[in-house]
Amino acid sequence: MSAAGNVTVEYNDKIVRWFMLAAIFWGIVGMLVGVLIASQLAFWQLNFGISWLTFGRLRPLHTNAAIFAFVGNMMFTGIYHSTQRLTRTRLASDFLSWVHFWGWQLIIVGAAITLPLGLTRSKEYAELIWPLDIAVVVIWVVFAINFFWTLAVRNEKSLYVAIWFYIATIITVAMLYIVNHLQIPTSWLHGYPIFGGVQDALVQWWYGHNAVAFFLTTPILGIMYYYLPKAAERPVYSYRLSIVHFWSLVFIYIWAGPHHLLNTALPEWLQTLGMIFSLMLWAPSWGGMLNGLLTLRGAWDKVRTDPILKFFAAGVTFYGMATFEGPLLAIRSVNSLSHYTDWTIGHVHAGTLGWNSFMAAGMFYWLTPRLWGTKLYSTRLADIHFWIGMVGILLYVAAMWVSGITTGLMLNSVTPEGVLAYPNFLEAVNSVRPMQHMRALGGGLFLAGFVLMAYNLGRTILAGRPVTTVIEVPGGERRMREGLTLAQSIFNPPVIYSVLIVVFASLWGFTGAISSTVAFVLMIETALVAMIHMSIAGARWSDWYERLLESWLPFSILTLVAVAAGGMIQILPLVYSKAAVDYEKAAQHVYTPLELYGRDIYVREGCYTCHSQMIRSLVGDVLRYGPSGRLGESVYDFPYQWGSKRTGPDLSRVGAKYPNIWHFQHFENPRSTSVGSNMPAYPWLFRQTADFDVLPSRIRVLRTLGVPFPERSVAQLREDFDAQGREIAADLAKAGIEISPDREVIALIAYIQQLGKSAAGQPPQTAKNQP
Amino acid sequence: MKDAQQHDTDELRHHIYDGIQEYDKRMPNWWLFTLYGAMVFAVIYWAYYHWAAHMTPGYVRVEKQIEEFQKSALAGGAAPTDAQLWKMSRDPAVVESGQKIYMANCVACHGQNLEGGIGQNLTDTTWVHGGTPTDIYNTITKGVLDKGMPVWGPVLGAGRISDVVAFVISKNPTIQQPPEM
Repeated sequence: MSAAGNVTVEYNDKIVRWFMLAAIFWGIVGMLVGVLIASQLAFWQLNFGISWLTFGRLRPLHTNAAIFAFVGNMMFTGIYHSTQRLTRTRLASDFLSWVHFWGWQLIIVGAAITLPLGLTRSKEYAELIWPLDIAVVVIWVVFAINFFWTLAVRNEKSLYVAIWFYIATIITVAMLYIVNHLQIPTSWLHGYPIFGGVQDALVQWWYGHNAVAFFLTTPILGIMYYYLPKAAERPVYSYRLSIVHFWSLVFIYIWAGPHHLLNTALPEWLQTLGMIFSLMLWAPSWGGMLNGLLTLRGAWDKVRTDPILKFFAAGVTFYGMATFEGPLLAIRSVNSLSHYTDWTIGHVHAGTLGWNSFMAAGMFYWLTPRLWGTKLYSTRLADIHFWIGMVGILLYVAAMWVSGITTGLMLNSVTPEGVLAYPNFLEAVNSVRPMQHMRALGGGLFLAGFVLMAYNLGRTILAGRPVTTVIEVPGGERRMREGLTLAQSIFNPPVIYSVLIVVFASLWGFTGAISSTVAFVLMIETALVAMIHMSIAGARWSDWYERLLESWLPFSILTLVAVAAGGMIQILPLVYSKAAVDYEKAAQHVYTPLELYGRDIYVREGCYTCHSQMIRSLVGDVLRYGPSGRLGESVYDFPYQWGSKRTGPDLSRVGAKYPNIWHFQHFENPRSTSVGSNMPAYPWLFRQTADFDVLPSRIRVLRTLGVPFPERSVAQLREDFDAQGREIAADLAKAGIEISPDREVIALIAYIQQLGKSAAGQPPQTAKNQP
Repeated sequence: MKDAQQHDTDELRHHIYDGIQEYDKRMPNWWLFTLYGAMVFAVIYWAYYHWAAHMTPGYVRVEKQIEEFQKSALAGGAAPTDAQLWKMSRDPAVVESGQKIYMANCVACHGQNLEGGIGQNLTDTTWVHGGTPTDIYNTITKGVLDKGMPVWGPVLGAGRISDVVAFVISKNPTIQQPPEM
């Protein structure tokens, strides 16, 4: 302590350095896997016939590495570095910081081992098996405690906008992650999610879409609000824009998930909510872009020379582009073209490469010289990185636009006679081969730029020494008291109006004719009253908000309320109406033991990464694959397998379409039955034997979840299992194939051959859509 | 940098966070219009489709569309006769078109030279599901699900199936010219 009662605060910069190095390392790994799987799509030979190197197993590794390992570590770097400075407080606990760091890295290593081994839950970005899921939750809670504890003992009265975004990130990711990973273990390495069919689909995309929102967007916006004005040395453009876009963003984002399920069997009201909330999301997203870009006013001359600002300016611009494209793709009719195609993948990469990776690069270039007390090794190399990266992104995204729109148009196109213009799915796949090459090239260039950055930063680090920032905080500014009590923060006009409007809007949407009319009138009236009240009492409201910013706990609770609303209103009706689910005259056939085993192989091999099991209510889909999917047809699917991408055709009604021998040869060498296919071969399915012993506990768990398996003893199950295997093997023998009935491929064929079978044994026969 | 100077005269907020200052500028009007406009659109869209119940489930919608498609397709003409198919099989242009369709869709099971494999041999003298041109046409259109022959009718359509039949007939000497010609 110094003479004037001042306190010396030494920041924990060591943890920041470690997280940054981890982010760079995992970034390279994640992108390398990305380039490999992009090349596998162009050249199937690159699957090498090795199980743990096939596309279906590596694609989850790529997404998990890019999201959780790369952006995760990058986010922790930025949050830990900037929060200490914005609160003028050292991180609350060194111990928790290190538990956080090593825990997270171990989880990543665990993921990098389990995913290639085929240990997966098959829910996108939620593939990790349950022991790792628990580890993620524990470490996330450690992170949350460390962060909120720091806020609680902060030496800065008011919370800066970056902190708001960090709070929203931590709370919402915890909520999403926990709900979407609820499951019942069947063994140490396997479990079934507690949701099935449409419920699982809805929960998955509530999670999946908001992983993009609250893992890839809000933390990076917080990082933008700290590092961009720092690097530009300009004030942030507009405080009130920050307020409006923050609250509208966190409230609206959560509702948009169902836009991943447009034109599927998802109930129409949910599809509509997904679409209209996505459209409403456009302005809040652009609010962030505007505040970033307009902060650069007066600093644009520096953007010309400073690579850091180049990365930030381009990153924020890509954010704006991707958040315009998102609402566009969420429009039903646009989505009927774009869904299941490369367009979606291109959209995601405009965000992850353009926004996440460029913001990361800008931040790393800014941080490294400061954390190691030296100058950047080479501005020129950073400049080259920028341009290589930029060309890489543009090649990638342009290739995906062309590929997505081309295949989408071809596959949907119907001739005037009412038949498919391109009946062979592979015709569409092979028409975009050059785009697949261009995409791999674009990704490769981007990776090259990133490696260049690693080299540049490595040289910078070698030239410097770790430095730790120490500041003096005046004694009178320590340990700020909270500005508002919880009651004061909740019982306030802005909060009450907002809650009332949401309540009335829900009543409008969900209740009968008379009460919904009343609710509609009340909703509009409340909105008008709120606007009039604000024009009179606006100054008092902003005073209240200033005091809310001095209260971390009430602020966090209000954020939780804002993000929880959408999910509850969308998901709970579907969960509680389980008994009354509209089966739409189609109930699913209950799997036999061998089929269930085959289904778990389907999940293990990541077939869902290229094949959907959901025929959309679109003419092209119905002509190609049969009657559109119904809710009842996947009620026993834990997890659901609707998929999100068609590199291959939809499989939901492929059962019984081809003989067993066709599938046998197709798994052995896809090109023998499908000329020009880019599907990998699966030789190990012919060597590995199916292990019946795992089944009884799996069936037990599924019965708990409500699947009506008939009462069978373990011995009877075994008998059924073996008998069906022998039956298929005998059928193959007739076609001249000798294979032992206990091989995995037999189980997989059993599963594939029942796809589309209903409880009545037939697919739904409605209208005249069957010849 | 006139623009920048002018902005510097705007009032900054009193609070400084680690050296970062904030303006409190008005939100751009066009941005506010976008925000409110999207909200108004959302209310109207919901009101029209769900409140006023103009929304039909997707699977009902698509069935109607397909029905209409097939009506107009049927109006296009009746199924071809033996004679028509035979005549097509003597037309090199039709046979070539049929060959292309065969190579894209049928070759995997029936072989490069129609010698069979997973599917039946198409060059021999045995026709398991009937050997007249219209029998072949019907087998392709309706499929033989028990034997693993897919339904090609809604996928390929009458025109392309006729071309394939013409191609197959042209390769199989057992199929004779129908008597009525």
